[in-house]
Amino acid sequence: MGLEQFKNRNIGTQNYKMLDLEQVPTRNFDKFKQVVKRTFKGELFVGLWVTLRAMINALFRGEMHAVKYPFEKLPISPRYRAIHEMLRLLESGHYRCIGCGLCEKICIANCISMNTRYDENQRKEVSEYTINFGRCIFCGFCAEVCPELAIVHGSRYENASEQRASFSLFEDMLTPIDNLNLQQEYQGFGAVTPYADDHIKKTPLAY
Amino acid sequence: MEATTLGVVIKAIIILAIISAIAGFGTYLERKVLAFMQRRLGPMHVGPYGLMQILADGIKLFTKEDIIPQNANRLIFALAPVITAATAFIALSAVPVFPDFTIPSWIPLLGGTFVPSIAADINIGILFVLGMMAAGLYGPLLAGMAQANKWGIIGAARTAVQFLSYEVVTGLSILAPIMIVGSLSLVDFNNYSSEHGWLMFTQPVAFVLFLIGGFAETNRTPFDLLEHEAEVVSGYATEYSGMRWGMFFIGEYANMITVSVLSAVVFMGGYNDMWFLPGWLAIILKIAFVFFLMLWVRASWPHVRPNQLMWLCWKVLMPIAVINVVVTGIVIMV
Amino acid sequence: MSDEKTVENLITITIDGKEYKAKEGEYILNAARANNVFIPAICYLTRCSPTLACRLCLVEADGKQVYACNAKVKEGLDIVTQTPNILEERRAIMEVYDVNHPLQCGVCDKSGECELQNYTLEMGVDAQHYMITDTKRETANWSSVLHYDAALCIVCERCTTVCKDMIGDAALTTVKRGGADLDKAYKDTMPKDAYAMWNKLQKSVIAPSNGTGHTNCSDCGECIAVCPVGALTSRDFVYSSNAWELKRIPAVSAHSSDGFQIYYEVKPTSIEDRSEKIYRVTNEWNYVSLDGSARFAYDFENRDAKKDKEAFKKALDAFKKAKTIRFNSVITNEEALMLQTLKEKMGIKLYNPEVRAFQKFLSFYAKASGRSLYSADTDTILKKSDFVISVGLALRNDSPGLKYAFNNVQKLNKGAGLYFHPVGDTLIPTFGKSVECFTHKAGLEEAALYLILDLFADKEKLPEEVRAYIDSFKRMTKKTVKEKVMKEVVEITVDEETGESKEVKKKVPEEIEKEIEVEQNGLVELLGKESDAFADTFDKMTSKKETFSLMVGEDFYYHPKAENLAKLVALIEKTCHMNVVIAPPKSNALGVALICDLDDKAEGYTIGYNENGDFRISALGDGDLDMPALNQQEGTLTNMSKRVVPTNAALEYGGYELNDVIRELIGAPKETVEWTVKLPVSKGFKAVEFDTLPNEYKNDGSENRGYLLDIVMAETPMPKVEKFNEAEVLEGEIAYRCNPGRQFSDFTDKAHEIFEPFALYASRAKAESLGEKVEVVFENGSIVLDVIADDKILGDIVKVPDFKSAQNVYELFGDSRYQNVTIRKV
Repeated sequence: MGLEQFKNRNIGTQNYKMLDLEQVPTRNFDKFKQVVKRTFKGELFVGLWVTLRAMINALFRGEMHAVKYPFEKLPISPRYRAIHEMLRLLESGHYRCIGCGLCEKICIANCISMNTRYDENQRKEVSEYTINFGRCIFCGFCAEVCPELAIVHGSRYENASEQRASFSLFEDMLTPIDNLNLQQEYQGFGAVTPYADDHIKKTPLAY
Repeated sequence: MEATTLGVVIKAIIILAIISAIAGFGTYLERKVLAFMQRRLGPMHVGPYGLMQILADGIKLFTKEDIIPQNANRLIFALAPVITAATAFIALSAVPVFPDFTIPSWIPLLGGTFVPSIAADINIGILFVLGMMAAGLYGPLLAGMAQANKWGIIGAARTAVQFLSYEVVTGLSILAPIMIVGSLSLVDFNNYSSEHGWLMFTQPVAFVLFLIGGFAETNRTPFDLLEHEAEVVSGYATEYSGMRWGMFFIGEYANMITVSVLSAVVFMGGYNDMWFLPGWLAIILKIAFVFFLMLWVRASWPHVRPNQLMWLCWKVLMPIAVINVVVTGIVIMV
Repeated sequence: MSDEKTVENLITITIDGKEYKAKEGEYILNAARANNVFIPAICYLTRCSPTLACRLCLVEADGKQVYACNAKVKEGLDIVTQTPNILEERRAIMEVYDVNHPLQCGVCDKSGECELQNYTLEMGVDAQHYMITDTKRETANWSSVLHYDAALCIVCERCTTVCKDMIGDAALTTVKRGGADLDKAYKDTMPKDAYAMWNKLQKSVIAPSNGTGHTNCSDCGECIAVCPVGALTSRDFVYSSNAWELKRIPAVSAHSSDGFQIYYEVKPTSIEDRSEKIYRVTNEWNYVSLDGSARFAYDFENRDAKKDKEAFKKALDAFKKAKTIRFNSVITNEEALMLQTLKEKMGIKLYNPEVRAFQKFLSFYAKASGRSLYSADTDTILKKSDFVISVGLALRNDSPGLKYAFNNVQKLNKGAGLYFHPVGDTLIPTFGKSVECFTHKAGLEEAALYLILDLFADKEKLPEEVRAYIDSFKRMTKKTVKEKVMKEVVEITVDEETGESKEVKKKVPEEIEKEIEVEQNGLVELLGKESDAFADTFDKMTSKKETFSLMVGEDFYYHPKAENLAKLVALIEKTCHMNVVIAPPKSNALGVALICDLDDKAEGYTIGYNENGDFRISALGDGDLDMPALNQQEGTLTNMSKRVVPTNAALEYGGYELNDVIRELIGAPKETVEWTVKLPVSKGFKAVEFDTLPNEYKNDGSENRGYLLDIVMAETPMPKVEKFNEAEVLEGEIAYRCNPGRQFSDFTDKAHEIFEPFALYASRAKAESLGEKVEVVFENGSIVLDVIADDKILGDIVKVPDFKSAQNVYELFGDSRYQNVTIRKV
């Protein structure tokens, strides 16, 4: 898909269709004439026909648009921003999060919070991680800033729950280890673009 | 006399029960029809096709907390919905719904009893009905004024203006048919149309005016100014909740049925047999159509501004109605 | 160093076309920093000697490229900070720093306040042109607090510089890295300075200088503070928080009397516990260096204190029947004033053994000298002195700030120093070549002062009898010395080509023996040194020295002849052109000494504030009524530099404050800080509102914190000093009341990053002879202690700490810091 149409941000040059609006009558006689005209022109009946037609089509021609939501679901875009997910490394199964705290810093709702510590393997370990979904506005900045593509937005948009704390712990968001083969690479905000390599200056390596 | 009195009481109870049920069913119909016209499904999950939704709504209305605002006039606040519901049902008592019939003899107890078409066949029937409907305006008016809420006050003001104005149009529009029939009894209207054909063809202008007036008096789109959400929150019903609010609704739907029945009886041939259709079925279909028309209109048309409403009433419809009466009179005299 | 910093010797220099004032003889970089002009530099520290490791501070001065950290300003010097060549060099240097530097900024503790990050962005490094095979560099824990990640280290040598020049431990040094050699082709293609810097960088890495892998230093953590990258961190802080999450709260170190300016850095404890916790302490390391207690003893707060109404009621009753309040120096000036008010209104005695001796000494001194307070402070010593003398002060333990000053004078002011102390020390002689240590016998402090009078006093001014007394120690001896004399000889040389002979006059050194009269100084010998050897070294030490300072300490206050010592100090000040600093023993001792009217004895029902008592109010969390600790309350402290400095509450406190008690008893304002303005003006305090007190260092390093105490001068006659009695010298087994390096009070002991235990500290030889556990028996009691060997102690005197108030060590020692004891193995 070409992106030209999105790149033109000069809204003044787009092709708007102007509605054929008639003058608003000011004199009483003109107003009366307008009423008479509208009464006998049958515009009202056109309106009636439109709704009736829609009803007939819906009932008998299967053009019913309603989706029976809990039983039927529409597919959502990969860029959809629902409850966060924490991804794992496909090779080792270890979680990707390195505890850098950038998501915590950029979060404009100030709802991310984490505890980190120095672990036995001399690495930074995320001992606890939580998002306050009572505050989260699902802006996607955390997914965009994450250097490891560890925190991403998932597709779980059904987030009614008995407790505020639901979904909000690291374990809740982390891909279950036995579902690692089902983990999808994220396509949304902050994901690597297909042509990312072209824009990177390579660092020379001595070996 | 004893039997007649008992019959009247029984009929009154039956009408009350049935009309209440139908009013409730009306809400279901309204939601379904509007949904279809917007390519939606409407209520689906309570009972088959959502039929039991009325029951669910009823339970909800009955069990909801009844709130009376602190600064409201408690007596009037409590009385107002009763006025609306009561006047609507009282108006219905003088409306003939079915032809006279005799209860079949195989039914125990009541078998062989003659049932007249109307609960109370009074000779000024139509005047009574119109009068009762007009009295119904006290419901919203008092409700709006009693609840100590600015939206309620605006709603009450609109009630006064709108209902009073359109009472004139309704009255004048139905005057021409009355002149032609020469009676105020609705049974006479029915009988007239069985002889001379539907009045709607001889009095089309009166019919249209009556429908417009009817829409306005039942507070239906495009004239639903009393409680238009986008403008006055919920107008006169802003502070109402639970069954008190439900009574306003039952009243409104009962009024819709009244108007539907009036149009059917006065202009559309009443409960006379039509082609192969028996009279009772014919009138049900007629009533149903008018009722459907109300929903249909609601789905299709936007509502008007208060000033347009008044302008339409006093400067357009009333002159036309007067002219219609004059022309009819001249035609009758000639 | 003759910079009497007056307005007159300011000179004018031009930086990038603008004129600025600078101090004569200052480095260009410091002049620029003082004037808010940015010159990039990684390796240079304002108060230390230039390292020339990073070479970023390259500037053009009068058309020549010089390093701003190393070149001094001259009148009219025209400095350009950016030329195309300089920019090219700087960029290349930053690229080199980025070669093989791990890119995991995400997990680095320094991320967000990292100078490597900042300068990489500043220089616009967006591509890398250099490469070299990396060397595997392991992380290491150097001590109980230091964590070193060699992979992150850029070998700027700031840590080694600060440790040597400021702290004096010189515990760190650069060692060989064993990395690959640079590609020779770079020499021609790279900018010159960048290549030179890389060459050096590639060869070195930092390591403890004793070669053991453990620093064995004073654990002050100043190397952590100055590290520009994440290489050096506190072991406790590693990976526990990002820099940007922490909220900085300016405060004052609560433990030593230096009153260093610090920042408590706080953030919520954890996800579950949102109450704030101090994660670390940072400082303005260019202007102030902290000791280990200031940096690591931060979590001494009284956590989870609640308003306990019952306890409060009991406390009120206790105060009503109390005869004495016993407290120590870990309180604010405001609290001291409250207690003093309590004394005035209710007649309760104030008992504070820690401060009382100091207070007495100060008053003796004031009476003798006519000055209400001593003349010097750490700042004047650091910046001006080139000769420092320390008497009666366990320099490493009592006063870290004075230790830094003593060391800094040697390193930066090309100074000299004399250190008089009965306990021998291995570290202090390493401060500089011109440091002479007198390990004299305990009890000869007066002799030391008389020696100072002899060495430095203007003999004209000295009272006749003092002069005579000093002279009585001198005797003349004959001594044969070899002397080099230049002798002129005439040689006849033959020119080989022409064959002419010539007479050439030459000077040839010749040694001749000579008998001279030498003055032997009995005082020097008394204090344990060879008299004539010292005379020679002393001549070298004093040459070209102009500003002299004397530090005296706690040994003097707890001394049977404290009054005489105070008079001698006053006499030295009057006759020797010498600045004197009288080090307050702990925390806010000076403030308490000035504000409170202390009593000598406790009697009757006693309330202990952080101390033992019949009713204990305590910020340690173990008392009958909770009090806020110094990191939980605002207020002012009076530090050694005679400065009243404000501190702020870093952590929340939920309980009652002393002010609440005072308000119930005698009425008080709503807030504790409303007392600040009431501090006694007669004692030098100013009637200034707390909220108007600044707490910062200015760009030129000048201290803009609180206010200085006013000193009242009065004319007094020369003090009458007494002779000393050689017989009063302590012999035998001696215990010295002295805390280990980072311990000062129960509060430092409470902190989890302070590991020094309450034990007997002795030299290694002594410790081995004592065994593992001993009972130290005093005249009026005994105490059982573990024995810990301290390699920095010399001699047989053992140190008994006093930081645990429950052990009541002050009572054991009585009114002297040295006591004859019997030590028994347990």
